[in-house]
Amino acid sequence: MGDFAAKFYQNFIQDNRYMFLVNGLKNTLIITVFAVALGLVLGFLVGTIRSTHDKRGGWTVANAICKVYLTVIRGTPTLIQLMISYYVILVSVNNKILVAILAFGINSGAYIAEIVRSGIMSIDEGQYEAGRSLGLDYWTTMRKIIMPQAFKNVLPALGNEFITLLKETSISGYIGIQELTRGGDIIRSKTYTAFLPLIGVALIYLVIVLFLEFLLGRMERRLRQSDR
Amino acid sequence: MTDNEKPLIEVKGLHKSFGDHEVLKGIDYSIYKGQVAAIIGPSGCGKSTFLRSLNLLEVPTSGQVLFEGTDITGKDVNIDKIRQKIGMVFQQFNLFPNYTVMENITLAPTQLGIMKQQEAEEKAMELLNRVGLPEKASAYPNSLSGGQKQRIAIARALEMNPDVMLFDEPTSALDPEMVGEVLQVMKDLAAAGMTMLVVTHEMGFAREVADEVLFLYDGIIFEKGTPDEVINHPQKERTQAFLNAVL
Ligand SMILES: Nc1ncnc2c1ncn2[C@@H]1O[C@H](COP(=O)(O)OP(=O)(O)O)[C@@H](O)[C@H]1O
Ligand SMILES: [Mg+2]
Repeated sequence: MGDFAAKFYQNFIQDNRYMFLVNGLKNTLIITVFAVALGLVLGFLVGTIRSTHDKRGGWTVANAICKVYLTVIRGTPTLIQLMISYYVILVSVNNKILVAILAFGINSGAYIAEIVRSGIMSIDEGQYEAGRSLGLDYWTTMRKIIMPQAFKNVLPALGNEFITLLKETSISGYIGIQELTRGGDIIRSKTYTAFLPLIGVALIYLVIVLFLEFLLGRMERRLRQSDR
Repeated sequence: MTDNEKPLIEVKGLHKSFGDHEVLKGIDYSIYKGQVAAIIGPSGCGKSTFLRSLNLLEVPTSGQVLFEGTDITGKDVNIDKIRQKIGMVFQQFNLFPNYTVMENITLAPTQLGIMKQQEAEEKAMELLNRVGLPEKASAYPNSLSGGQKQRIAIARALEMNPDVMLFDEPTSALDPEMVGEVLQVMKDLAAAGMTMLVVTHEMGFAREVADEVLFLYDGIIFEKGTPDEVINHPQKERTQAFLNAVL
């Protein structure tokens, strides 16, 4: 036990090494939160364009652009997208965190777009027809009738995407960002012990994910109110 | 009904194909204010397609649908405005599960700015009384029986003050013991003078309430007349065969 305390002291307390984790966590959270926000906006937009095209035709060009976006993003590894963003497309951008936010946000947007589209498609056509037959226009029907139900159906998938993204930001170290994983790695390289820094990092991810799941569960229960 | 009165809905040369499959092969029909028409025919003969063409849920391949004199298949027609005057009731009710009964009824008129919230709710309460479900105002659709859902769906359509009501097999998805309560609401509605087109397999209802019965077959109105003429004394063999099968 004394050994553990000594190891703990060495890895986290000595030289304020815990600050590597704190600062890393801060960057991880900043990247995740803003990338999710960007992903939601993009995904919502692309998913809506795709389903509108499916539902009532038109928007052929926009739909084609969306399809290319989805194919490219989903067809290549996230790490490659991140490195291309940093070393090729956004070389002039000095802010690495911003590059990561853009890369992860654009990546996540593709997956969220398909989640949104599947959510819209999961709603019975009769709901749409009922709205339209009352004289509501397409967008009001979408906004007031289809989207709220679709959102409820895809909330678990959206939560999953959020959690996946949080963990995926751990590859930001490849473009030199000191996020949580890299923070643990730096401690490991300073103390030459792997166990505690890595387990510590893993536990922090786990706690955040558990917290997110708790929030999502509450939201789902609230939305399920009408199923009584 | 007088002969020189204009029809409420007039259908001229209506054709509808799905791909190569021509479902409606030239339908001409007029319904006048206050009339109740029952549409009967074998499954898959195009009853729903015909009814749904009247509010453009199905877009005709050719032909015209005149609603109060306006050809609603025209390019510059505001179909949403027209649909506000055409109530529709579906076989599967299609209530909005994420809204309460009251919200289901008041959603459209308030969203469309036709009524203020309070006015909409007062009218909704009147309608809930009329369909016998005032105590369900704050219930969610999933807590209702099929018959109750369909009565709410009727109230929701009536809230818009439609000039005509379209019913597509409103009782076909119901357990037998609930058919009566929905038909009763529809009978009351007919008695109050509502113009109605009803796709139905309820021959009793057609006999009792309809002014006119249309037998749809092979993409056309195969036989048409009073309930007594079509149901009791069909002129054509096909009509006879269909009635033998359902009666
Ligand atoms: N959206 C559609 N796409 C393709 N075929 C359809 C569609 N809707 C209806 N049909 C076909 O048109 C025919 C008539 O359908 P419908 O009007 O629903 O018949 P009914 O209501 O009399 O049972 C059927 O053969 C059906 O398969
Ligand atoms: Mg049908």
